[in-house]
Amino acid sequence: MATIKINGKEITVEDNTLILDAARKAGYEIPTFCYQADLMGIGSCRMCLVEIEGQRKLQPSCITPVLHGMSINTDSSTVASARAGVLEFLLANHALDCPVCDKGGECELQDMVHKYGPRTGRHAEPKFKFHEKDYVLSQVIIKNSNRCVQCMKCVRVCREVVGRNVLGALGRGDHQEPTSFNRTFLDCDMDGNCIEVCPVGCFMRLPYRYKSRPWDLKGADTICPYCATGCRMVIEERDGQLLRARAQLGVGLNSETLCARGRFGCDFVNSAERITKPLIRHQAATWAEALASVKDGFSGKEGKHIGGVAAATLTNEELYLFQKLMRTVFGSPNIDSSSRWNSDAASAFIHAASMNEGGVSIFDCMEADTVLIIGSHISDENPVSEYIVRRISSNRRMNLIIASPRAMKLDSSANVKLRHLPAAEKAVLDAITLVINAGKLSEAEKLKAIKDSKMVDLLTAAGVGVDEITDIAKRLSASQSVAIVAGTEFLRFPDGTSGLALLKDVLKNLGKKVTVMPTLDRCNQRGAWEMGVHPSFGPGYATAEKGMDTEALLEAAMRGEIDALYVVGEDIISDYPDREFARTALSKVRFLVVQDIFMSETAKLAHVILPGASFSEKEGMFTNQEGRAQSIRKLLALPGKAKRDLDIIRAVGELFDGSFGPKNAVLVLDEIRQVNPMYSDVSLLFNNKKNSDNRLDNRAALVKCAAGVLPAAGEFASKAVSSRMEEHSFALVTGSHLFHLGRFSRKSETLLGLIKGATVEICEDDAARLGFVSGEKVKVKGKNHEVLATLKTSTGSKSRVAFIPESFEDAEVNRFFRRGEGVPRVSITRANQ
Amino acid sequence: MSDKKGGIDILDLIKKVLFTDFVKGLRITLGYNVSKSITHRYPDEEKWIPYRRFRGVHTLNRDEHGRELCVACELCVKACPTSCITVVPMEDDTGRGIADRVAKIWKVNLVRCLYCGYCEDACPTRAVRLGREYELACADFKCTVRNREELLLPQPVPESIEGGLVAKAKFERSLSGIKVTADLSATKKRAW
Ligand code: SF4
Ligand code: SF4
Ligand code: SF4
Ligand code: SF4
Ligand code: SF4
Ligand code: FES
Repeated sequence: MATIKINGKEITVEDNTLILDAARKAGYEIPTFCYQADLMGIGSCRMCLVEIEGQRKLQPSCITPVLHGMSINTDSSTVASARAGVLEFLLANHALDCPVCDKGGECELQDMVHKYGPRTGRHAEPKFKFHEKDYVLSQVIIKNSNRCVQCMKCVRVCREVVGRNVLGALGRGDHQEPTSFNRTFLDCDMDGNCIEVCPVGCFMRLPYRYKSRPWDLKGADTICPYCATGCRMVIEERDGQLLRARAQLGVGLNSETLCARGRFGCDFVNSAERITKPLIRHQAATWAEALASVKDGFSGKEGKHIGGVAAATLTNEELYLFQKLMRTVFGSPNIDSSSRWNSDAASAFIHAASMNEGGVSIFDCMEADTVLIIGSHISDENPVSEYIVRRISSNRRMNLIIASPRAMKLDSSANVKLRHLPAAEKAVLDAITLVINAGKLSEAEKLKAIKDSKMVDLLTAAGVGVDEITDIAKRLSASQSVAIVAGTEFLRFPDGTSGLALLKDVLKNLGKKVTVMPTLDRCNQRGAWEMGVHPSFGPGYATAEKGMDTEALLEAAMRGEIDALYVVGEDIISDYPDREFARTALSKVRFLVVQDIFMSETAKLAHVILPGASFSEKEGMFTNQEGRAQSIRKLLALPGKAKRDLDIIRAVGELFDGSFGPKNAVLVLDEIRQVNPMYSDVSLLFNNKKNSDNRLDNRAALVKCAAGVLPAAGEFASKAVSSRMEEHSFALVTGSHLFHLGRFSRKSETLLGLIKGATVEICEDDAARLGFVSGEKVKVKGKNHEVLATLKTSTGSKSRVAFIPESFEDAEVNRFFRRGEGVPRVSITRANQ
Repeated sequence: MSDKKGGIDILDLIKKVLFTDFVKGLRITLGYNVSKSITHRYPDEEKWIPYRRFRGVHTLNRDEHGRELCVACELCVKACPTSCITVVPMEDDTGRGIADRVAKIWKVNLVRCLYCGYCEDACPTRAVRLGREYELACADFKCTVRNREELLLPQPVPESIEGGLVAKAKFERSLSGIKVTADLSATKKRAW
């Protein structure tokens, strides 16, 4: 501890605290440009100069640690004139074209000059200019280097947080221009974090260019509607159009960072394709008519012939009310929240990831000695979670192990990267467990165990070498605490969950602290499960009468046993792994009600379509993958006659039971608190708070442990693929794209501008072997389907693995799949062959 | 009061007898009767052309190359105490404006405006200036909002005329409304 004096006030802080942080703690504001918590300190801008008694020169407080007994002045006249001097120099060559600068009104330089600056400049020479016109760096970024203050935050955020290294500084001194090579982006993630950190109007958003002034915008503090990282952001509108989404420093677990989907993808709510009025057999109708038709369709039907599927993009309140409607009003246990995987997979995953034990903070996970990421392409699926992993893992001594068939950006931070075959998570985890167990044996026994035929089988099934597995096992055995980050592959290939559960138990038995954090790809997937939108448990994972999941509902529909199906926000046809089956089955449902914001493939078959609300038009709560309950806020008015989903679900309930409720989101939340012990303490007040010292881990938002005990999961047949294949054949995997996730992103103009057509990603070596080059059109042919897609190569992926993202309409990836057939094989050939 | 203490004021009495106040008043009346009239025969025959400093309906201006001066910075909007200006910017680098940022929408609600001129002061490019038009009466609310296209039209009274003049005018009434057109070639100085 060090005791120092700041402006005469005595304060005691930890050793090595920066003067800046100490001063802020003591309540003194010091202006900064280049300092940002979480980024490497470079002390380049000199805005934060302070006077230290006994030292002749002023010192930058953002890189100078305190020393015991220091006496510091932060607001003497010397400091004030130094600040004014720094600003005068910054303005010497600054473009100062505020009237046309998009940053005007929220510019840190404007604020600083206003507060500390010289009122006049003395520089008479013509200003130096990098360029005349703003230049476009990428589809989302436009740049004007003449306004740069050389703080290098853009360069640092790109390298240290995003991990892309696209930006660098060209030139020296005040002629130094932070930009990209050739002023074009080669391999940019388009997340716009450089825009967000830039204190001036140098990096600017292209989609927001010349649209507004900050004071015209009305904002709402909300949660990103894409993946389950649950980034907090502010969405802002002008004249009813959502214009931008931005993150805030020190708010939410993401602080100032977002990914491309969150920052640029929210404009889907403006889409002209929104459904704005109720439709009965695709004819416009009034709400009264539509509801009367729903009443007809559901009246007199038996619960077991009724089903309901609600998307994991709805709020907890809506999901809770939905399952209440299905269970109590319709007497039907047939409820599900996803059509991509079956409910047993979900149960097994919840069990293996101990989700019923309450929330797990990602920041806690990153305290572990070893972090194992498996079953998730975290770099594309949960980009901001990946930023957090990168940022923290580069700052402390720890093991980061990544097991995935596909190479990813985070590999560069990993100590061990394991490339296994698709759907082989179980084999990988079992092999690791086997080696860890063998570690307890003597040397001779160990050799024998490893040579054991079971081990050989596992290694072949996983397509990995024994050394890699032993290395991982060694690192795990040597760690006191282990965190396992388990992704959506466990839901696609649920046999892996038993491997996960086993490894978790083995490590626990060895006396280690083990935490498992799930990563999910729908904003409220966890909430959907915890609200009981699942055929075998109710809210808070309480045991419930077993019903049918989406898959079973489709099978029953195929047999003509489904009289009425209520689908909210889910596009079963596009998501179910076997498109043709889903379409035929749904067309056999006698009465199909679809509530959605866009005309989805499923909605096209509906008898009644009810127009719902997007995340920006309602209030409620999402639970992210860690189990943080966070609130979303209403910003926009509903388009046309659309209604909030909660109101629609309640109106449907009231058709059959006049007292169905609760009547509004607040009361529903009260009821959730009562019936779901995990949510008994949830309050939506605390989670919008800004914290000044950059503590991003808001633990109060984490949900608590569930009351009941989850039944252990059953065994699943392995769907692993063998590595023996013909020359052109690949194992096809799918998942989220960095720019596209689910269906909303396909209605976002900006994201469509980034990538429109489907891509198929294979590893570089395979491409070279087959003579393909990145960017060419190839034909991907499976047993059931073929598509044309643009080839993308990746360095370091497992050979013979082809990846087609889920979201693209021109490559309906679920057409390649057939029920019960596991990972499909596809062949890739030149398009014109 | 003290000098009036002695009962009847002699001076007052004399004034009353001689009708002094009456004559004074009458002199002013008669004087105006024979002096030159300063009433404008507006709108039938004459119209007042104000000085340049007059604060009438807004004008949007161009530079010498005909490019719009407004860069849609919205500072006038911010400065306006009655929030009667709406500006929506857009990008246009075809040379329409002096910068690639131009106004997509620029409109002002004239019945909310209090002609304070703050918008003029705020404008960094002197694009908006309060002009010399003051005839705002109309029978329809539509005419209370002026938009960019109208405000960019050349002014009926050119900048070169200093103002402070009375011009011959014609009053026209048509279906589209009433109009007082001044004949700028026939002007006279104000009478005082
Ligand atoms: S960066 Fe700031 S100071 Fe510079 S032109 Fe833009 S608004 Fe003005
Ligand atoms: S572009 Fe912006 S963030 Fe980057 S160095 Fe310049 S001022 Fe800083
Ligand atoms: S990481 Fe996920 S939650 Fe965060 S901005 Fe991206 S899509 Fe949204
Ligand atoms: S004159 Fe005053 S009230 Fe009228 S538009 Fe300008 S700033 Fe607003
Ligand atoms: S008139 Fe002037 S102040 Fe108003 S937006 Fe245009 S340039 Fe800005
Ligand atoms: S903030 Fe300290 S030198 Fe830039």
